[in-house]
Amino acid sequence: MQTSAGPLVILDGIDLEINQGETVAIVGASGSGKTTLLGILAGLDVASAGSVHLLDDNLSDLDEEARALVRGQHVGFVFQSFQLLASLTALENVMLPVELRGDTLAQSHAKELLEKVGLADRLDHYPRQLSGGEQQRVAIARAFASQPTVLFADEPTGNLDTQTGERICQLLFDLNQEFGTTLVMVTHDTGLAARCGRTIAISGGRIEPAEHDAQDDAQQAVSP
Amino acid sequence: MNAKLVARMAWRDVRSGEMGLLLVALLVAVGTVTSISLFVDRLQSALLQESSNFLAADRQIKGSQVIPEDFVVQARQRGLETATTLVFPSMIFAGDLNQLVSVKAVDEAYPLRGELIVGQVPFQRGSPTQAVPKPGTVWLDSRLFPAMNVALGDTVEVGMAELKVTQVLVAEPDRGGSFFDLGPRLLMNLQDVPATEVVQPGSRLSYQLLLSGDEEALASLRDVLPLKPSFEWVSVRESSPRIGRALDRAESFLLLGGLLGVLLAGIAVGLSAHRYAQRHFDHVGVLKTLGATPGQILRGFMSLLLMVGLAAIAAGLLLGSLLHVAIVEVLASLIAVDLPSPTFRPFLLGAATGLICAMAFAMPAFMHLKNVEPMRVIRRDLGVAPLSRWLSYGAAAAGSLLLLVWYTKDLWLTLWTLLSIVSICLVFGVLAWALLKGGRVAGMQAKSGWRLALAGLQRRRAENTAQILIFGVAIMLLLVLVLIRTALIEEWQNQVPEDAANHFVMNIAEDEVAGVRALVRDRATEGEFLFPMIRGRVAQVNELSAKEWQAQKRPGYVGSQLTSERALTWSLEAPGNNEIVAGRWWAEDSQEAEASLELDYAQDFGLELGDRMEFDVGGRRVWATVTSIRSLEWESMTPNFFIILSPGALQDFPATYMTSFYLDPTEKVFLNTLLGQYPTITVIEIDALIAQVQKIVGQVSQAVELVLALVLLSGALVLIASIQASRDTRMAEHGLIRALGGTRSLIGGSLTVEFLVLGTFAGVVAVFGAELVVAMLQTQVFDLQMELHPWIWLLGPVAGALIIATVGLLGSRSLIDTPPMSVLRGLY
Repeated sequence: MQTSAGPLVILDGIDLEINQGETVAIVGASGSGKTTLLGILAGLDVASAGSVHLLDDNLSDLDEEARALVRGQHVGFVFQSFQLLASLTALENVMLPVELRGDTLAQSHAKELLEKVGLADRLDHYPRQLSGGEQQRVAIARAFASQPTVLFADEPTGNLDTQTGERICQLLFDLNQEFGTTLVMVTHDTGLAARCGRTIAISGGRIEPAEHDAQDDAQQAVSP
Repeated sequence: MNAKLVARMAWRDVRSGEMGLLLVALLVAVGTVTSISLFVDRLQSALLQESSNFLAADRQIKGSQVIPEDFVVQARQRGLETATTLVFPSMIFAGDLNQLVSVKAVDEAYPLRGELIVGQVPFQRGSPTQAVPKPGTVWLDSRLFPAMNVALGDTVEVGMAELKVTQVLVAEPDRGGSFFDLGPRLLMNLQDVPATEVVQPGSRLSYQLLLSGDEEALASLRDVLPLKPSFEWVSVRESSPRIGRALDRAESFLLLGGLLGVLLAGIAVGLSAHRYAQRHFDHVGVLKTLGATPGQILRGFMSLLLMVGLAAIAAGLLLGSLLHVAIVEVLASLIAVDLPSPTFRPFLLGAATGLICAMAFAMPAFMHLKNVEPMRVIRRDLGVAPLSRWLSYGAAAAGSLLLLVWYTKDLWLTLWTLLSIVSICLVFGVLAWALLKGGRVAGMQAKSGWRLALAGLQRRRAENTAQILIFGVAIMLLLVLVLIRTALIEEWQNQVPEDAANHFVMNIAEDEVAGVRALVRDRATEGEFLFPMIRGRVAQVNELSAKEWQAQKRPGYVGSQLTSERALTWSLEAPGNNEIVAGRWWAEDSQEAEASLELDYAQDFGLELGDRMEFDVGGRRVWATVTSIRSLEWESMTPNFFIILSPGALQDFPATYMTSFYLDPTEKVFLNTLLGQYPTITVIEIDALIAQVQKIVGQVSQAVELVLALVLLSGALVLIASIQASRDTRMAEHGLIRALGGTRSLIGGSLTVEFLVLGTFAGVVAVFGAELVVAMLQTQVFDLQMELHPWIWLLGPVAGALIIATVGLLGSRSLIDTPPMSVLRGLY
């Protein structure tokens, strides 16, 4: 991008392939470009050069309208700040992605998911009536509601205490395994990163040479 | 997004208060417009009905020939009511006494509007009656009883007929008009006219066909009747310009009030929509990450706006009707007129206002939501590209124009107002920006409330400039309304001051002047003037006879003729309510024969300064040169003369005199004494006319006040919306400062200073703007004298500061009271 101080390169020479069913952690210092990378991979943003392919689509060629359809069809998100819609109940938040797709059987499916994350008795509560951990569990249920092919998680435990974070983390991996979803996660948490099949370290907008590649182990771990 | 989802989101937004202000703003827009137009609609009909009393009908057809039977047939075919009257001057006799009276012969249907008031004792209050004089009887004006020395039951001779006096005629509705026509009245039945044998070829007769009924039927009748050249179509506005103008101005004012109300509500709608959109950026970001396409977002939020708009319209219409019922109820004791049922138009207007407000003021902000980047969900520092100013201002301007033109049906009034507002915004936008930029204070400057406030003002310069303008425009619009209202009401009241002379005395012989004045001085309040009156006619202009002159200057002119006999007067000084528009008034010591002409009179007959005119006064001739042209207020309740001559020209001619006095209604019996002692003088009572004018002015003034109150409400709403709009930014900053140890008093002090400064600037903008707009409106629309209002120059900024600080602090109370933790958690 252009700034008043000259051109600024945020991501440079990224060449990355993530296979279906992989669990990948993207780690790096603040400002290293990892969140930007996640945004571009998920089709939330477009790179000024290069291309990103998600399943059969070249995201770089699509406009926002088409990218949104791809996201709705194939992508789920879990965010650090939960990002639940404050005006909707837990159940409604989970139903939302399915409703956006125009499916009608949203409610029973959403209830099932909320039961799975242990919130069967909080269906009609609003986000502000839930604790941080509960909110993130709703967010996870929402992320899996549209049965996405790929799940992107941005510091999913970043706003939670260690214990809650641990439980959320477990839930995320369990559901991921159950649905066979590809997981791409940005995190500072080395413990969390270690549970992923592969860790990609970013520094100054570039991928650092791999120190540890646990892809094979991870694939073993998440395969049914 | 499907409809169910949108409905749910709308409902949640309404319940959580996110949509609250927008909903209320729309509601007030619709409610204000509906109630104002409902009220105006009904009041207009009521005032029109009331003022129709001046004609005793809705319209008249007037002519010096018998009204053709076909006119009556055509009118009845259209479902109109009709009545016929005939007015002529006649000498009546009783014993040895005789008197020139104005006879009015009426049929049974008279009057169609208003009522006759009769009594049993002269100069006493009477009571209304539905009847007219029966054949063989007459009703006489109070002053004819002493003048003719008759009592009820006596007979008077009208032409060849002997008619019995059965009632004292106290008032008749269509008495108004030029007061020189107001001879003492004799009211008789139309059936008796043939017996009098006074209707002869060459008699001065005036036939009237009175009409009342549906406006459309009246208009269509006017279109089909062959009126010209013998008949004249008379409506209240033409026959009684005083009332007509008061009505016109009141109408303009009420419309202006409505217009400003709509503008203010529009601004409030725009501001709250903008805030709603801003608070939904994250919301939309999340929806987008979940796969909502920009198209879906657009459709979803548009449907949401539509839903809220429709709900607001429905509620607003209801509110408007309730408000209107309440207003009518409250004013019921003051407004004696029965209000006719409202038409459908106010409701249509209210609904359209809501829809246009939503489209023009709120839609741009809602449309903008589709541009939110989904990336914003994980990168909160990403801003949202600002809304295209062309789109938002363009839409608002187009919407305002559409609404206002439709509402006022007056393109000029609308354009003047909008143009002034736009230019004021431009000038003051730059000025406010520059002022805020001056004396740079860096950083948060959190040492004192004062410095914190100044730093805040500078840092949010763009928002603050906008806020100053919005506050300024809101206060300005209110000031405009207050000033125009004050000017109008003052003008109306000045027209007919409380103790304005309500009786004129004419035909006072030179040797009676002292006696009459002494008597008047003793029992009533003497008027300001004493004019000599001399009957005369124009005989020659320059080298031509008056007839030839008129034929040359105004061929085919059918109005009153140059050669007609007129009341002339002479005077040393120009009468107070006359303005010299050409030439100059004669010098005090002038011995020359000079003439001063009324402007319209001079124009009608092509007379100019320097023309020499010869007057025939009872066979004696006198020449005078036109040395000045005057314009005068025909509305003032004082005698006006077309032709005034210098003392040098007329003072040697025998004259009778006229004067005026104010007589309290309870002292009417004094007229008996006066006329008893001086039977040859003529007294003209215009107290009934004045009372009627005052009543209408009073009603119109009330309506004006009421509209003002409603618009004030919209103004308050704008202030609240504007403060709400900037609340989030302030909340963020002040929450942080409090978390870092800022005390509540520091924040409170800083907010107070900030609002005081904004309010003062806004007050300055408002004062300049109001003076400019008022000057334009006064001269261009209301036809009033332009004047400045120094009293608002200080009041504007002070009031601005106080109002904004009060509303601002009340609106941001939660900013001070909310625990910093909640604020910070709400932020991130």
